Amino acid sequence: MSSDYEISDDENEYYDEEDDEMEVDYDDGSASEIEVDAFGDDFKVAVRSERKLYEVDYTSLSQPEIEKIMQTDVDHISGIFGVEPAVAAQLLRHMNWNKERLIEKYMDNASSVAVAAGVELPPREPTPPPPKASSSRLSSTGPQRTTRRTTAENLKSSPKSKRTTPLVEESKEFVCPICFDDTQTEFMSLICEHKFCASCWKEYITSKVRTEAECKIACMAEDCNIVALDPFVEKALGDDRETWTRYQELLVRQFVSCIPHLKFCPYPSCTHTVSCPSAATKSSLITMVPIVTCGASNTHVFCFGCPIDTDHRPVVCAVAKMWLQKCRDDSETANWIKSNTKECSKCQSTIEKNGGCNHMTCKKCKYEFCWVCMGPWTEHGTSWYSCNRYEEKNSVDARDAQTKSRASLERYLHYYNRWANHEQSAKLSMELYTKTEKKMEEMQVTSELTWIQVQFMKKAVDVVFRCRMTLKWTYAMAYYLASGNEKELFEDNQRDLERAVEELSELIEAPIDPETIMTLRQKVTDKTVYVQKRNEIMLEDTAKGYLEGRWKWNVTVEGFDSA
Amino acid sequence: MDARLRRVNKEIADCKSDKSSRVTIDLVDDNPFHLIGAFDGPEDTPYEGGRFQVDIVIPDNYPFQPVKMKFITKVYHPNISSASGAICLDILKDAWSPVLTLKSTLISLQSLLCSPEPRDPQDAEVAKHYMTSKSSFEKTARYWTMIYAGGPGEDGAGRPGKDAAKDEIAMAGLDRAHVAQFEALGFDRSKVIDVLRRMNYRGANVANINDDRVVEELLK
Repeated sequence: MSSDYEISDDENEYYDEEDDEMEVDYDDGSASEIEVDAFGDDFKVAVRSERKLYEVDYTSLSQPEIEKIMQTDVDHISGIFGVEPAVAAQLLRHMNWNKERLIEKYMDNASSVAVAAGVELPPREPTPPPPKASSSRLSSTGPQRTTRRTTAENLKSSPKSKRTTPLVEESKEFVCPICFDDTQTEFMSLICEHKFCASCWKEYITSKVRTEAECKIACMAEDCNIVALDPFVEKALGDDRETWTRYQELLVRQFVSCIPHLKFCPYPSCTHTVSCPSAATKSSLITMVPIVTCGASNTHVFCFGCPIDTDHRPVVCAVAKMWLQKCRDDSETANWIKSNTKECSKCQSTIEKNGGCNHMTCKKCKYEFCWVCMGPWTEHGTSWYSCNRYEEKNSVDARDAQTKSRASLERYLHYYNRWANHEQSAKLSMELYTKTEKKMEEMQVTSELTWIQVQFMKKAVDVVFRCRMTLKWTYAMAYYLASGNEKELFEDNQRDLERAVEELSELIEAPIDPETIMTLRQKVTDKTVYVQKRNEIMLEDTAKGYLEGRWKWNVTVEGFDSA
Repeated sequence: MDARLRRVNKEIADCKSDKSSRVTIDLVDDNPFHLIGAFDGPEDTPYEGGRFQVDIVIPDNYPFQPVKMKFITKVYHPNISSASGAICLDILKDAWSPVLTLKSTLISLQSLLCSPEPRDPQDAEVAKHYMTSKSSFEKTARYWTMIYAGGPGEDGAGRPGKDAAKDEIAMAGLDRAHVAQFEALGFDRSKVIDVLRRMNYRGANVANINDDRVVEELLK
């Protein structure tokens, strides 16, 4: 694998001090001759015992675990308010799981919260409500208390057994006002006593959950705000366990979206959640890049702080977002401008040549020049086509001026091209995987190595892929870093990593010679360790920089002090 | 029998038996899920005397999803698109409830005609007209009712049968004098109407649209 990045021939190799810890005596020219015994067969660096500076503390939670957390909150509220768990759950959902606010508001005016949450009927005025209206839906025969204050207690006092059997009545005369099916015999209603047949309820809830992805099921009656509680929903859905499961998933999603330190795994059909309290606030995102992996699969890598669902270390979210936006907006245009236009050497207007001869006249300043050499036309006389005045001082100056005016565009494209190149190379690693697999099989045949022993190839490909992702993002970071010593140090790290990655890349693509296979193995293994180390230095150093507030940007970045 | 079909049949039958509301629902062809509803324009509104037709499509999981309705009859109303007949009404979207029926929804449309909500418009031009000059808006709405919904129109002015150009002006909700003023400058009448309507021109001193700007627009 090759890159268009040119490694300078500069002899002064720069390594920062972390480098000294390494036992590999790495040098550009003699890389192939190193005898390495320090690491043997092991990839020692790969074993991570404690958290690195660039890693973030998080836990992955499965759906049942989240449900358990929800249940704790529900039980807590249920205990404090003396209401049924299902009621407590609905109250919490209504207040977006903000327990403190719920408690505060509930203590202030229990009834208004309960009405707004759809667990209690709005007070009727001016006559006191008939006994049925203010009682819970669970029991119309239970002890009635007439004051509204005690409604919550009514809800609590209903025996548990009744909770799971919502009002199901046998009625010959009543016809469901939705389906008008007079053969329906089973009816259900919420505490508002709007009666509908069981099959309509089921249809309705299924439609809400399945097509609208809605977990708040309001009564079907017009303008009725009463919400169906979980036991009712489960009962109404009956044997449709699939919809019930979906309903529970929606509840979990609603909960997760309300809690700042939780985030749902964005990968399709994944139900895991990641909890990352240290990255829960916006201000924390300027000191860290919270890349997390959910427990379902180690390929489910995403950023906790922003919607980018890949590892964008070492760049913080705000800068990553700016860069991606810039790439979307500018890359095509910038490339087009670069390849199709030139600037007038006098007034710097951008000019596209869409036909005709090379004798150009700037529309704006009327400057006449040669499109080929950018020099003034007056020096060309009639022999323009040979452009024999190429080395003429004037045209050289003109080209210099052109170069200068293109500097910012060139600068952007410099970073963008390297960014895009690493991305492309990383994409090609899928191909490399299959190639490597073949190679590994080949090795088993041509040498005495076992399958386990040829794993080093696969490992190397993995490392190359990961480091290319890091490199890719370092170019986004470098584009926005303000120039200065810090940026130079950053770029040195970047260069060392890049060089190492390219060399490893080359090694794993090289043809296999049975004679030298052991040497190759040794070399790849050593290089892999080295690359990994360089990657860590890169990430570690940037992470440290964030914590120290060392990085200064050349633009204003959200959350940072202005540049 | 399919629950949806039973429900729709019942609704159509109910509507037929109820003569007092003057709301009708008819089949377009043999398909009971594509219907045409009709109701009278409410009294004491510019829509009085008109008969308004509504295209009704019953979705697959009706009544758990709202019906799709749009006006077939052209209506001049802030919450109804003057071009497509699309309706902006909450019960046709998230405030839908399965207990609502075709008839009750049509009656809601009728009451929408009584109480326009220009701050949440479907047709921005009409809404602007309504906000700038309610009387002028009502005049146009009445004219539309007369032309499209068979309403009586205003006594004297603008009865159908007069020349087509006059109708065009009234249709756009414009003042004849304004159109004539710019026509006199040598612009094509239909262009004048188009520009004035687009700019929502209600005279030079309303909404700071001076004559120069209109001419500028006309010259484009």
